[in-house]
Amino acid sequence: MKFRISLLVAAGLLVGALTLPRPAQAANKKLTIAFSFQDLETEFWVAGHKAIAETLAKRGFKVIEKNCSKDANLQLEQVKGLLTQNVDGVIIIPVDGELAVTIGKLANQAQIPYGVFNRPPSNKDAKALVVVADNRKIAADAVDYMAQQAKKLGRKVTPAIMVGDLGDPNAVGRRQGFYDIIEKYPDLWTGKPIEIPTKWDANVGLQNLQSAVQANPNIDFLFTSSDFLFPVIKSVLAPLGKWEKSGSKEHVILGGLDGDKTACGLIRDGYLDSTGVQNLFAEAEMITDAITASVSASEKTPEKWMDDHGFALTQANFKQRHLDMWGCRLLEGK
Amino acid sequence: MSTESRPAEPGDARGPHAGSDALVGHRPAAWWSRARLMKLGRTALLSEYFVLYLSFLYMLVLGPFLPQLFATQNLADMVSNIWPLLVVAIGQNFVLITAGIDLSQTSNMALTSVIGAVLVVTACDPVLFSKCPLWGTLLTEHGGPLAGMALGVPIAVLTMLVIGSLIGWINGVAVARFKMPAFMVTLVSMMFFSAVAIYLPKSENIQNLPHAFVVLGKGSIGPVPIPLLVGVGVAIGAHLLLSRTLFGRRLYAVGTNPVASTISGIPTARIITQAYVLAGFCAALASVLYSARLEMGRPTLARTQFIDIVGANVIAGVSLSGGKGKITWTAFGVIFFVLLANTLNLLDLPFYTIDIVKGLVIFGAAFLDVMRTRAAAQSH
Repeated sequence: MKFRISLLVAAGLLVGALTLPRPAQAANKKLTIAFSFQDLETEFWVAGHKAIAETLAKRGFKVIEKNCSKDANLQLEQVKGLLTQNVDGVIIIPVDGELAVTIGKLANQAQIPYGVFNRPPSNKDAKALVVVADNRKIAADAVDYMAQQAKKLGRKVTPAIMVGDLGDPNAVGRRQGFYDIIEKYPDLWTGKPIEIPTKWDANVGLQNLQSAVQANPNIDFLFTSSDFLFPVIKSVLAPLGKWEKSGSKEHVILGGLDGDKTACGLIRDGYLDSTGVQNLFAEAEMITDAITASVSASEKTPEKWMDDHGFALTQANFKQRHLDMWGCRLLEGK
Repeated sequence: MSTESRPAEPGDARGPHAGSDALVGHRPAAWWSRARLMKLGRTALLSEYFVLYLSFLYMLVLGPFLPQLFATQNLADMVSNIWPLLVVAIGQNFVLITAGIDLSQTSNMALTSVIGAVLVVTACDPVLFSKCPLWGTLLTEHGGPLAGMALGVPIAVLTMLVIGSLIGWINGVAVARFKMPAFMVTLVSMMFFSAVAIYLPKSENIQNLPHAFVVLGKGSIGPVPIPLLVGVGVAIGAHLLLSRTLFGRRLYAVGTNPVASTISGIPTARIITQAYVLAGFCAALASVLYSARLEMGRPTLARTQFIDIVGANVIAGVSLSGGKGKITWTAFGVIFFVLLANTLNLLDLPFYTIDIVKGLVIFGAAFLDVMRTRAAAQSH
């Protein structure tokens, strides 16, 4: 008898837990934005994450953050979980452009506004608010300045590019911008550019750059698809006596893209010739403005692509424009 | 002193039947008494269903604090996350029973994901794929060789399963015939096949998969999701294989004592090889489900999932020393693992906290397994 009563009590608890009336929502429930990002491995993503999270919090939104550590399936599962929590909007930095489409379709089905920061969806099958830098143009601006420096040498140079993960549209765009300049000045090069894969991984970049420099010791024109690789580049070039300031005989004409603190310091000190700058704070403002406006207007599947045209910070314009670069502002504590 | 409420204890002067209704006319000890609770706890701890009980208890305890845990959509999402992990964990179970391990399941999943996608993709962007080694042969602007074919998807899935099984066979032969350590063999094959998976599409994801493929991970037959059918089907098949066939009995024997098994005439090398083939097959099948739900072939698929695959088995009591493991245990372990991940996400904990908790849970489960084994030995 007591056992049966105990069983009934346990069953009752279970039923109660399942059917417990949910606490009534507060009259003025804070709007919630879910922010899913792929990792915080580089200064750019750290600064971008901070800019977005702080802006949303300042505007009175509750922010739920999820880091998927570059695992695509995990990001998908996390966002599915976020959508079931009935968040009011979702901003993601996706693992890659293809995943941004898959996740976007889920958000569209759930009728929740969906924003993508900096790493655009690979196609427009899902409706999204997208902020993306014009990587091709920004890279071309940076490499064009490098080419002008190469012309001053009065000889041909051996070009190389450290390529990002080509699953990332950003990496594809930067590579295209580099090649635009290669094609623009066909007589400037000793041969075809040497491609050095990095897959956006410092270790992979290090190993491949070491091999490339061993195989091609004459490399003297090097563009990296992301500024986070500059410490890697220094570690390879310095022991070979090639980490020299601009104007020195052994200087390797060097360019990058992102605009982080490291790049700012290197341009200031003369090691780096130019870097393409994504206007990070403006991009963060654009995405938060767009998503909060959509949430406030109760739009379910807003769609808008917003471009950041960026610019190239070079040794020539450093004094005039360095504070336009987010990395320099961080470096100077501004 | 009344003996009504004091149950008999070892060495009790009243004798072994002290406290018994029949002999002394007293009521039995209450169900909440210490002895009863300890007995209940011991029974639960030693029970095969311990992890399942733990899952229910976990849900009951957290439910009042996390009402969204029981939201229909959340439960549906949790259940949908179970099936692919269950399929690949079942494969790992076979290998663990032999006291081996298969580190290459994740790269198996990545490579088969790429191969399957290459075969059925409906269109490819030359900008992304023109430099990959398959361009012009298996891949063109119009997609893969089976694009648009009526039986294209079934052939692609079959190809994935065959290649996955072949990878398992390679591992099995190296471990069983050449007596190489399983850890080393499968670590090398993980590196090798992971590199091949990235090399073939030049690290590009392969989108534009046909609806007939995508539906394998997202569709349903009537009200029943296809991944559920696959997961349950694999679980039932594996359970029958282990519990009702000669292969199953031999697998346990080999895992318990390979030397004695060989002496007693069991073809140990063949059994171990078959276990790895099954692990490879299950990895490829899980790859079908994952690739379909992601709607693409991914050369980096499942890269970080190994801990989930082994962790789900270890939590449930599958022994890393071999000879011990059941499909029901793996199923309970996967359920608990998915439930744990879901609740930790709902609690909005930082990702590193989630990984720390997962690690501690797996460690705790392994420790508990040792304690359970000792308790079981003592109770005999």
